[in-house]
Amino acid sequence: MITVKGLTKTFGELLVLDHIDETIEKGEVVCIIGPSGSGKSTFLRCLNLLERPTEGQIFVDGEEITDPKCNLNAMRERMGMVFQQFNLFPHLTILKNMTLAPVLHKQYTKAQAEEKAMALLKRVGVADKAQMYPSQISGGQKQRVAIARALMLDPEIMLFDEPTSALDPEMVGEVLDVMKELAASGMTMAVVTHEMGFARSVASRVMFIDQGKFREQNTPEEFFGNPQNPRLREFLSKVL
Amino acid sequence: MNFFQGIADSFYKALIVQERWKMLLEGLGNTLIIALGATVLGVAIGIVLAIIKYSADGSKNIVIRILDKIASIYITVIRGTPVMVQLFILSTAVLVSIRQGIIIAIIGMGLNSGAYVAEIIRAGINAVDKGQNEAGRSLGLSKGQTMRYIILPQAVKNILPALGNEFIVLLKETSVVGYIAVEDLTFAAQRIKTVSYDPTAFFIAAGVYLVMVIGLTAILRKIERRLARSDHR
Repeated sequence: MITVKGLTKTFGELLVLDHIDETIEKGEVVCIIGPSGSGKSTFLRCLNLLERPTEGQIFVDGEEITDPKCNLNAMRERMGMVFQQFNLFPHLTILKNMTLAPVLHKQYTKAQAEEKAMALLKRVGVADKAQMYPSQISGGQKQRVAIARALMLDPEIMLFDEPTSALDPEMVGEVLDVMKELAASGMTMAVVTHEMGFARSVASRVMFIDQGKFREQNTPEEFFGNPQNPRLREFLSKVL
Repeated sequence: MNFFQGIADSFYKALIVQERWKMLLEGLGNTLIIALGATVLGVAIGIVLAIIKYSADGSKNIVIRILDKIASIYITVIRGTPVMVQLFILSTAVLVSIRQGIIIAIIGMGLNSGAYVAEIIRAGINAVDKGQNEAGRSLGLSKGQTMRYIILPQAVKNILPALGNEFIVLLKETSVVGYIAVEDLTFAAQRIKTVSYDPTAFFIAAGVYLVMVIGLTAILRKIERRLARSDHR
């Protein structure tokens, strides 16, 4: 589904991603873990080109999206993204947050979009907040709305950038539950996370990134039960 | 002659003799025309400059890059030189064919204000959280759509109060146009002082400016409160 070849990203002198070759298959739930500054968020943000790679190519279903001629906006419609800070639009109601993009894309009429939005809000459990503004709901509800907003465009893959890191502890569960349900429905997902429990129980593959390279990856059982890389062992001993 | 008679006499000389109040009123009219005209021109220029600077950000288009350089130089030069010197240059070197000083004054003050308005708009847009832009783009919206539907509606709340202040500053700054022989409120007061040997006209002019600024400030407060009420952050 997504293939990355020689992906390199530098910020000035700083090498953040170091010639990464990687593939994410359709239906996979890939969890990316690593220490802060390891490049995990940058890797995820490169996948939909929110961050422009310094070098390398990215292919989505065989189509090179790093090609300057690629229609980026159309490509991004196929890749939903969920941010650490939710990034709901504060000047729009929850419902409007949901319908803005699909209506602008002429994917749906306003009425169709609202119907779909209500169904998705129901699925993530915040249908009763549709007419409220983002400031009027809790962090966990905001993140669930953000997930639903991304799902409005029927993406083929969902990218999660530390989706629970900005949440109060008691709200983490409700967001992870939505993500679990999404994974169970067969959605392809790439998740940057510190939630080891989630990675262990939901991921089909866990990857450890450190200093701009993936150092180890495996099934959750092997990854957590029998880690090989010394840096990964040290990391796991600190977070588990 | 007691104190109150003295004041009455001063006001009589400043306003009534030879119908001098008419001079002040005409001056006030010109001040308002210049301030209004310059505001409209300034906002128009400011918007154009801000659009150029925004589109140039990250663009490789050579025309836009050149326009961006011109805009930058314009803003630097205008903000780095006194408005009075700018007016002198306009009236004696650039717009010499224009006879009416008031038009030169409007153009000069408008060109000046435009540079400041551009910066106000830029700052207002930059103050919107970067994540808003990323969220818009990640939903497949174009740069323009993200600007129009997500960034600008939020930026307006930052921009309008600052724009209001700019208009107040502009209104007061028009008092320099007398130097290029435009008969504004300040100029009228100056002429009355010259013929009456009495500075009271300046106090009257100051009072008129003050009333206008206080009035404008009150209106702005009202607008700000309106904006705050619809603020859902």
